[in-house]
Amino acid sequence: MTARAEAVRAAGGEGTAPAAHAASGPPGGVGIYTQKLGMWVFLASEVMFFTALIGSYIILRWGAGNPWPDTRAVLNIPTTAVNTFILICSSVSMVKAYAAAVRDDQKHLKRWLLTTVVGGAIFVGVQVREYIKLVHHGFLPSSGLFGATFYTMTGFHGFHVTCGVISMAWVTIRAFRGKYKGGNYHGIETIGLYWHFVDLVWIILFTIVYLV
Amino acid sequence: MERAMTAAPAGPEAAEHKAPNYVAVWAALAVLTMVELAVVYMGLPRHVMILALVFLALWKAMLVALYFMHLRFEPKRLLYVVLAPLPLALILVIAVMHGFRK
Amino acid sequence: MTASATAAPRGGAPHAGHDDRSFIRKYIASTDHKIIGIQFLFVSLFFLLVGGLLAMGIRWQLGFPGQPMPLGGWLPSGVAPGGVVAPKMYISLVTMHGTFMIFFAVMPLLVGVFANYLIPLKIGAPDMAFPRLNMWSFWVFVLSGLVMLSSLFVLGGPAAAGWTAYAPLSATPDYTGVHLGQQLWCVSIVLFGLSSLLGSVNYITTVVNMRAPGMTWFRLPLSVWALFITAILAILAVPVLAGAVIMLLFDQTIGTHFYLPAAGGQPMMWQHLFWFFGHPEVYILILPAFGIVSDVIANGSRKPIFGYASMVYAMISIAFLGFIVWGHHMFISGMNPTLASYFMVSTIVIAVPSAVKVFNWLATMWRGDLHFTTPMLCAIAFVSMFIIGGLSGIFMASTPVDMYIHGTYFIVAHIHYVLFGGSLFAVFAGIYFWFPKMFGKQLDERWGKVHFALTFIFYNLTFFPMHILGVAGEMRRIYDPTAYAYLRPLQPINVFITINAFLLFLSQFVFAGNVVRTLWKGRKAPLNPWRDNGLEWTTPSPPPHGNFATIPTVYHGPYEYSVPGAAEDYTPVNQPPAAVPEPAR
Repeated sequence: MTARAEAVRAAGGEGTAPAAHAASGPPGGVGIYTQKLGMWVFLASEVMFFTALIGSYIILRWGAGNPWPDTRAVLNIPTTAVNTFILICSSVSMVKAYAAAVRDDQKHLKRWLLTTVVGGAIFVGVQVREYIKLVHHGFLPSSGLFGATFYTMTGFHGFHVTCGVISMAWVTIRAFRGKYKGGNYHGIETIGLYWHFVDLVWIILFTIVYLV
Repeated sequence: MERAMTAAPAGPEAAEHKAPNYVAVWAALAVLTMVELAVVYMGLPRHVMILALVFLALWKAMLVALYFMHLRFEPKRLLYVVLAPLPLALILVIAVMHGFRK
Repeated sequence: MTASATAAPRGGAPHAGHDDRSFIRKYIASTDHKIIGIQFLFVSLFFLLVGGLLAMGIRWQLGFPGQPMPLGGWLPSGVAPGGVVAPKMYISLVTMHGTFMIFFAVMPLLVGVFANYLIPLKIGAPDMAFPRLNMWSFWVFVLSGLVMLSSLFVLGGPAAAGWTAYAPLSATPDYTGVHLGQQLWCVSIVLFGLSSLLGSVNYITTVVNMRAPGMTWFRLPLSVWALFITAILAILAVPVLAGAVIMLLFDQTIGTHFYLPAAGGQPMMWQHLFWFFGHPEVYILILPAFGIVSDVIANGSRKPIFGYASMVYAMISIAFLGFIVWGHHMFISGMNPTLASYFMVSTIVIAVPSAVKVFNWLATMWRGDLHFTTPMLCAIAFVSMFIIGGLSGIFMASTPVDMYIHGTYFIVAHIHYVLFGGSLFAVFAGIYFWFPKMFGKQLDERWGKVHFALTFIFYNLTFFPMHILGVAGEMRRIYDPTAYAYLRPLQPINVFITINAFLLFLSQFVFAGNVVRTLWKGRKAPLNPWRDNGLEWTTPSPPPHGNFATIPTVYHGPYEYSVPGAAEDYTPVNQPPAAVPEPAR
């Protein structure tokens, strides 16, 4: 042990790291660029937000043992299955856009981004149509716990998709203005993470709300 | 056009890992969704159906997270950020369910 | 001149001269973390005043039930007929006091002010990772505060279901008669959650990615560690509250029945979701205080902090445990006894890391060269008050004891020992300590000590007797204790508490006066008034836009005070090792 470290120790600072001779290590960071890290941290909090909503549904339905209507009788499964497929496709086109941005392939970047926006918009449109139909059939948020949990979960998911479509549209406009040239793919990857997360949540929701 | 997309990556940082075959993942997701529908309309016993559906949903979610969000190719450190909320979410739901059991 | 002065970037000032942002970009819609921290400081001090005024209303009614409040005649007769607060309004008073103090005073004071101000300066970064998000975090916070303030003035009165908003009391106006007030409460809390989320994403990303060269994880000052861990707690806990509150809002507005038992809803679910947020929230309110106090105590003792690594691990374990103990707030709710015993054990375990921290602070001070400056006095008060608050917490962790003291003034005493005696003393320590950094002027030490002494005395005289009231059975949120025969003999204690509470409130004007006087004509602070090691003291006060002329390099940990053989009793973290005695290898 160096005399210096011993001195620190004697002064009572066991935990204090002994002075290094030079600044060690590269500038702080974990090798994940800032926007991506920020997005992942944000998504971690989104997980907890949806935990509150989906968890309440699970608790109310199975934990508290409430009687539950047959979801297949209320909801239109085939339409929603197609809609799920559309959202999955938009996720694929998103990841294609990312791959194009990495390759600096501007033509395909724009094309795939547009596909993604359109896919997302179709998803939102189909869901709005589903809501209108359900409301016409008298299925409302106030129609028991199923109505409440259904509209809250799918509504907040739809809200997230809508926000995603708006941001994707903005990103697409930026792509057409050439903001992601020269392998500048960070913005595309970051928004893509959000988009895939929303898709992932829908995969869970579709299964446990519609199918189960 | 598909061929163009699956061509070998040439980007500056894409060389870090081979780009996964996104079309294959997409096909898997589509097939799994159809399997889910089949499970629903097959008339299995209810708890078997629920188990199968949850399993399939988690599988799909994993595919999206691992390949589309390319977690598979990220450093382990990022995985901690991603996985941190999951045990908490499980604890919350399980504890509350348990709390209602008399 | 000191070593730090030579290390200070002289080029900082010219950089500030190039600052050509407009007044609005500079002081209102600023993206500069320092301005945002100062904005948070003044706004949350205002909310502290609001919460304090509400507390005075509560105390007057408890001390002198049925007698008109001073200035009570100014209140509308619906609120306080004849100057006496109406029973229905009293519950609103308690609710809003708790809400303002927790969400709009203590949390932003600790996190909004110190995380924003200190993190970039202490890790050697020019600003936050996402400066614009940071600005939005502040303005959404202001918006949520305004919504909450506006709820004080709406028809039907403000929320009246307690700051915990227990359902079904909060989920329907049937019981409280409050419609709009409770809805605005919900909207405000959701906005608050958004603000907290934006801030926390920033803090985490900044600490992870923007540390200066050489600022390794285990060279981070404990204040930065604490704020980092707090941000993680906020990221994972606050969204659950947001989700729960949104469902509560739906119950009130669009006729859902999440928490209303009439159609199968579960009031208990609200309690679980709320406390799943609420208990981490408790640590959100105390961890930054731990950090600030660790920095101040090491500085004031002129000694390295005792057990740096154990301090970090203690905070991490407190943070983790904080997520799995929420049920101890609900022991009397009729939950499954097996679950209750699990919650009891896990809660008591938290005493271990907390005790590690307390002993580390004591060991840091032990045989140190103690400088009883105002921040140091506040920090020492924090440690002692936190011990009392922590010990009374263990009473509550124990299910059988909690069955008896739940919902009494014992709980009120406990929460104030940790939130006022704990968090607020740390806030004062932090403000006194970093005021010279924020404004370039030093708060008057003499008045600071007067403020500290008055606050410490009246604070204890106010809150300690509440333990006695609680054990004697006085309920919290009680309107008129003299209505109960068994509480009537205790009324002198209530009068005593009320008098001291008013004196405590008035003592804070010493602080306010000190701040105003210092800002107006205070003496200029020296470059490093506390002879501190932190990076923030190596740049001018207040630091220019961009903080550092060149990004500094860090060579050692932040607590190297009184290094034997060194010319000074402190070693700024950016002082190259050549300047300290070369170790014999």
